[in-house]
Amino acid sequence: MKLTVFNGSPRGKESNTAILLEHFLNGFMETEGNSYELEYIVNNKDVGKLVEMFKDVGNVILAFPLYIDCMPGIVKSFIDNLKSLCGRQDNPTIGFMVQGGFPEAYHSRFVERYLEKLAKRLNCQYAGCIVKGGIEGIRVMPQFMTKKTFNYFYELGKIYGKSGKFDEELLKRLAKPEHLSALRRLFFRFASSIGMAHVYWNKQLKENNAFEERFDKPYMR
Amino acid sequence: MKITMLNGNPDPDNQKFDDYLNNLVKLLESSDNSVVHFKLLEMKIRPCRGCFDCWLKTPGQCIFKDDSHDICREIINSDFLLCAAPLVMGFPSAVLKIAMDKLIPLLLPYIELVDNKECHHMKRYDKYPLIGLIIEKEDDTDSEDIEIVNDIFSRFAIDFKTSSRFVMQTDIPVQEISDEINRI
Repeated sequence: MKLTVFNGSPRGKESNTAILLEHFLNGFMETEGNSYELEYIVNNKDVGKLVEMFKDVGNVILAFPLYIDCMPGIVKSFIDNLKSLCGRQDNPTIGFMVQGGFPEAYHSRFVERYLEKLAKRLNCQYAGCIVKGGIEGIRVMPQFMTKKTFNYFYELGKIYGKSGKFDEELLKRLAKPEHLSALRRLFFRFASSIGMAHVYWNKQLKENNAFEERFDKPYMR
Repeated sequence: MKITMLNGNPDPDNQKFDDYLNNLVKLLESSDNSVVHFKLLEMKIRPCRGCFDCWLKTPGQCIFKDDSHDICREIINSDFLLCAAPLVMGFPSAVLKIAMDKLIPLLLPYIELVDNKECHHMKRYDKYPLIGLIIEKEDDTDSEDIEIVNDIFSRFAIDFKTSSRFVMQTDIPVQEISDEINRI
């Protein structure tokens, strides 16, 4: 099976999306004869080339981080450029991967509906959409926290490599939590009340000598 | 009322869309509103690269000196934000989405539970404008597309500490949109 993967993260090779894709693709390559091409949308001036890559392959995955509950602007540019392929026969099977910073998968469910409709619009067979929240900070998390997630991506890739589909059961398990549980909300409120919830940001603000300015309102008239 | 309009028309040949908005602006101004009309296609806006410098290095401002600063300044001092774009592939144009991504400096990095339910970033300013969306349909636009756009725009409203007053289409008279805004 030949696969072309478009990484739509504005952070490109340094993205969390890239990390998740790496695990997915390791699983994908477990099936003999599989091969893939990985292309980054960011800074790719040659839009025509991206469109050609899209139409010349049997299977495509478009992966991106959630930007204000939707796709990043550069991914929308890419999608807009696919307009010329609407109504064409032989468009590839398409699957999506959306990862978000907030823990709940729910944030990504709206754009997921858009993506399924997009597949229809392009006359593409729809392979499904991988949704995972809680990914911001994945680089600084200890291994025991990320191992399970990475393993899910590996397994999803492995099954996809054989069947061309995302396993429904794995998708559901990976997406958890769909919403925050009562216990997690309680913990979050507690962590906020003692300032613990802000540690991740404050640490970086202090490193940048910007902590004092953190509440600035530069545009206020 | 102070209104900021983001015109996300991606096609210089689509004069019809610009004419529609220009007529709307005239009507709104004749009923005692002031409107700042940003033609996004003519502006220099570097797409968000997800660096978070606008939260962590230069709090409240994108680290790049592009036209997004003018947009953020107008929006946060407005009563109403009117987003407008033709649908392209079932969703408002990339030109509009690129500009909307650049509004995150208006928020804080910190996270709170909204309605004790969902994680969202906290507000940086005391007050955010109400929002509305004007779309131009494509040939194949159906009710499902409109519903999806509506729902995603309402999510954008939650992110930006406000609420969506309408999603309207350019196939209705401008007067109706102007009336809707004047009722706010």
